[in-house]
Amino acid sequence: MGMDKVNDDIVIDVPEASGQGNEPVSASNDRSGSKSFKRKLIDFYDKKYKLLLIIPIILLVLSLLQIGYQYSTTGDIMIKGVSLKGGVSIRIPLQEQVNLKQIEDALKEQFPKNDIAIRSFEKSGEFAGITIDADIDGTNNELFESFIGVVKKNITEDIGDNYVVNIIGSSFGASFLREAFIIFIISFLCMAIVVFIYFRKFAPSIAVILAAFSDIVGTLAVANLLGVKLSSGGIAAFIMLIGYSVDTDILLSTRVLMRKEGTVMDRILSSIETGMMMTLTALVAVIIALIFSQSEALSQIMLIVMIGLLFDIVNTWIQNVGILRLYLERKQRRKTDESEA
Amino acid sequence: MNPKLKKLVTNFRVLLVLFVLILAIVAINPSFNSKGVAIRSVDFNSSASTAGIYNPSPGVSPRSREVVLSMNNEEINSLKDYNDFIQKLSINQTVNVKTSKASYILRTKPNVEIKMLNETESKVISEVISEDINGTIVNRTVTKTLKVPKTIEIVNGAEDLGLTVYPAPQTNIKKGLDLQGGTRVLLQPEQQISKDDMELVISSMKERLNVFGLSDIIVRSAGDLSGNQFILVEIAGANEDEVKELLARQGKFEANIGNDTVFFGGKKDITYVCRTADCSGIDPRGGCNNQGSAWYCRFRFAISLSPEAAERQAQLTQNLDLITQNNEQYLSKPLVLYLDDKEVDQLNIGAELKGRATTDIQISGSGVGKTQEEAITDSLTNMKRLQTILITGSLPVKLNIVSTDSVSPELGEEFLRNSLFIGILSLLGVCVLVFLRYRKWFVAIPMIITSLIELVVIIGVASAIGWNLDISSVAGIIIAIGTGVNDQIIIADETLKGAVESYDWKRKIKNAFFIIFGAFFTNFVAMVPLLFAGAGLLKGFAITTIIGLTFGVLITRPAYARVMETLLKE
Repeated sequence: MGMDKVNDDIVIDVPEASGQGNEPVSASNDRSGSKSFKRKLIDFYDKKYKLLLIIPIILLVLSLLQIGYQYSTTGDIMIKGVSLKGGVSIRIPLQEQVNLKQIEDALKEQFPKNDIAIRSFEKSGEFAGITIDADIDGTNNELFESFIGVVKKNITEDIGDNYVVNIIGSSFGASFLREAFIIFIISFLCMAIVVFIYFRKFAPSIAVILAAFSDIVGTLAVANLLGVKLSSGGIAAFIMLIGYSVDTDILLSTRVLMRKEGTVMDRILSSIETGMMMTLTALVAVIIALIFSQSEALSQIMLIVMIGLLFDIVNTWIQNVGILRLYLERKQRRKTDESEA
Repeated sequence: MNPKLKKLVTNFRVLLVLFVLILAIVAINPSFNSKGVAIRSVDFNSSASTAGIYNPSPGVSPRSREVVLSMNNEEINSLKDYNDFIQKLSINQTVNVKTSKASYILRTKPNVEIKMLNETESKVISEVISEDINGTIVNRTVTKTLKVPKTIEIVNGAEDLGLTVYPAPQTNIKKGLDLQGGTRVLLQPEQQISKDDMELVISSMKERLNVFGLSDIIVRSAGDLSGNQFILVEIAGANEDEVKELLARQGKFEANIGNDTVFFGGKKDITYVCRTADCSGIDPRGGCNNQGSAWYCRFRFAISLSPEAAERQAQLTQNLDLITQNNEQYLSKPLVLYLDDKEVDQLNIGAELKGRATTDIQISGSGVGKTQEEAITDSLTNMKRLQTILITGSLPVKLNIVSTDSVSPELGEEFLRNSLFIGILSLLGVCVLVFLRYRKWFVAIPMIITSLIELVVIIGVASAIGWNLDISSVAGIIIAIGTGVNDQIIIADETLKGAVESYDWKRKIKNAFFIIFGAFFTNFVAMVPLLFAGAGLLKGFAITTIIGLTFGVLITRPAYARVMETLLKE
C-alpha cells in the first residue's frame, strides 16, 4: 500500500470534539443498567487523560527505582537463574511430597558456600516433584555425585536415574547473557526503526517505542519483585515482548492518526474494543499455559509475557493514548494559531 | 451449491491456503496405524550388522526410517513385542527379520564369558614380523610359547541381536531432545579454529559417534555474536556419561618409546583396529583380579600399523638393551600409550621385536569396578572408546564441555503430552472468548480453523526442513498463533464496522492490513537477531515464530479477509 497516500489522507480531528464524544458509537450498545456508570467512566477517561497519565509515569518511575535498587544491591539488574549464572539444575519427579527444608538444610550443610534453591513443581495443582538449582560445577563428576548423593539420602523414594540434569558452565552463562543483552538492544532498535518508518512522525513514533520500553522495564521490575530467577527462556521472553507489546500501539496509532471516521475519542474507543480483545485472547492462552505447563522454561516465558501484557494495557490505553492526544491538541492549536494569524 | 460457498472455494487466496495445508500434511506424513519398531542403531559386529542391517543415516526423515515389521513371522508392533521376542532367543538360532525395506536372516551368537582358573597352561603364539634385510622387507613368522592362566569359556545364552529400536514414528515431526529424551552437549574449542578445522572437527565427531555405535545424532557448529565458536551435539536416547567422556576427548593418541613417538591414532598410522571377539576383549592373559576393595580388568585388542609406523618402531627399538623379567626377555624401554597426554598403559616389548618392523601389535588397557562384573563393563567401555579414538584419530583442537543437559525419554514424552494438552486447551479458551465477543459463527469458526491451519503449516515446514521441535519451539508456535488470532481480530473488527460506516471493502481490508503489516514487521525484526544468538539455543524459538508470522501475514490473513468479505457482503 502506498504509504504516502495514506499519509495524505490524514485529517486531524479536533480534540475539542470531546463534547461530541459524549455519544460514542461504541457506548450505544450498552445494557441499560451499567449505562450511566460506563458513560461516566468514558467521560472521565476522555476528559482526564492528562491526569491519568500520572499512572504510567508513576509505574515507570517505580519500576526504574526497583531495577536501580536491584542493581545497587546485587550488581545485576535481574535475578539470574542457574542457566545464566552457571551451575546445575536438577529436576526430580516424585510421587510423594518431600520435606524441602530438610533437603535444603542437608545440602547447605554439605555445600555451605554454594547458592542452593529447592522448589517443588506441580502438575495440575498436585505435587509432582522437586527442582534443585545450585551453582556447583556440574562438569566435576565426583562433586556432582556427592551432591546428588545428599539429595538421595534425604528422599525416601528410590529415584534411581530418573531425573533431568542441566549443567551450565559459568563462562557460558556470562557470555550468553552478554549476548542476550546485545540482541535485546538490536531487536529494540530494529523495532524502533520500523515504527519510525511506519509513522514518519516523531511524537507518535516515540509514544509507541516508549510504550514498549515501559512494558519491558515494568515487567523486569515485577519479575524481580516476584523473585523470578531468569533463565535463557526468560530472556527470550523479554525479546518477545518487544514485538508483542507494539501490536496494540500500532493499532491505536494507525486508527487515531490515519483514519477520519468519527471523532478521535470514537477511534480510541473502537481501538480499545479491538485491542483489548487481542490482549484478552493472548492472556487467556498464556494463563492456561501457565497453569498447566510442566516445563519450567515454558512457564517462565508465559509468566513474563503475562506480566508484559498487563503492563501493556496501561501503557497503551493510558500512556500512548495520552501522548497521542497531547500531540494532536498541540498540532490543532498550532493550526488555529496559523489560521488566526 | 450455495453461491457464497462456491465463491469461497474457488477463490485464489483460499485455494492457496488449502494448497499449502496439503503440502504441510504431506511433509508431516502422518499415519495413524504405524506398525513395527524403528531401528535407531545397529551395534558393530552384532548378528544384525553381520546380516547386513546398517545404521540409519542421520539425515533420514522419521517416517522413512527402516522399521522392523516381523521376526520369524511374529508381528512386532511395540517395544514389548520386540523385547518379548528377544527374550526367547537361543544360541545359533536363525531369525527371519522382515523390515520395511528388506528381509534379513540373522543368526544369534553365543554370549561368551571368559573365566579364569587358578591353573596355568602353555600357549603357542605366532606373530608376523616384517624385517628389513638389506633394503627389502621380509615377513617372518615367529612363534613362542607363553605360560598363561587357564581360562574356560562360559556361554550365557544368546548374545543380543545388536539392534536398538524405538516405537515406529507416526509422523515426520522431529522431536527435540527435551521432547523425546536424550543428551545435549555444548562444546567449545579451546582456541579459535578456522572454518576448515571446524568442519573437520564436526565430521570427526560424527564419525566418532557412529563408530561408537550411535547414529541418531546431530552435530552442528554454532556461534554467538561475540565470535565464540561452539559445537552442539545432540544424541537421542544415549547414555550420557559414556558419550560425555567421548566428546570431551581430543583423542590425541600417542604410542611412545622414551621421548619418541612410534605412532599416532588415526588412519595414517593405524590401518586396522580389531573389534571382533577373536582379537579384542578382556585379556585372557591378564584377566581380572581383585585388589583390596576393587576389581581390575585388563582388555586388549589387535591393531595393524602402516609400514611407515612399523619402520619407525624398528628404528627406535634397534639400540635398546635387553632386560630379563619373570624369566622373559624384554627391551629396556616399554611402549607407553598416551591419550590426551595422559598415560593409559605401558607395554613391555618382547626381545624378539628389537629392530624389527612389526605391523601387528596389541594395545591394552584396564578398567576398574567394585565387583568383577563392573570392572569388566568398565574395561570393555574403555576399550570401545580407545578403539573409536584409534580409528577416528585426533581432533585438531581440544574441546571443553560448556553445558550438558539430558532428559529421560519418559520425561520427554510427558513434556510432549503436556505441550499438546496446553495447546489444545489454549485454543479452546481463545475459541470461547471469540464466540462470546462476536456471537457470530462466521467470524469465530473461520478464525479457529485458520489458527489450526497455521499450526499444521508451522509443524509441516519444520518437518520439511528437518527442524527438531523442542520446548522453545513450542513457545514460538504459541506466540505465532497468538499473533495470528490478534490479526484476525483486527480484520474482523475492521470489516464488521462496515455495517455502521459505508466505505468500500478494499479500503477496509487495506486498513486492516496496514495495522497487521506494521505489527508483523516489528515482530519480525525483533525475532531475527535471535537466530544468531546464544550458541543457537534459542534458534528453535525464533525459527518457529518467524515461520508462523510470515506464513500468516502472507497467506492465511489475506484468505481470512476474503472469507470475511464473502460471508459479510450482501
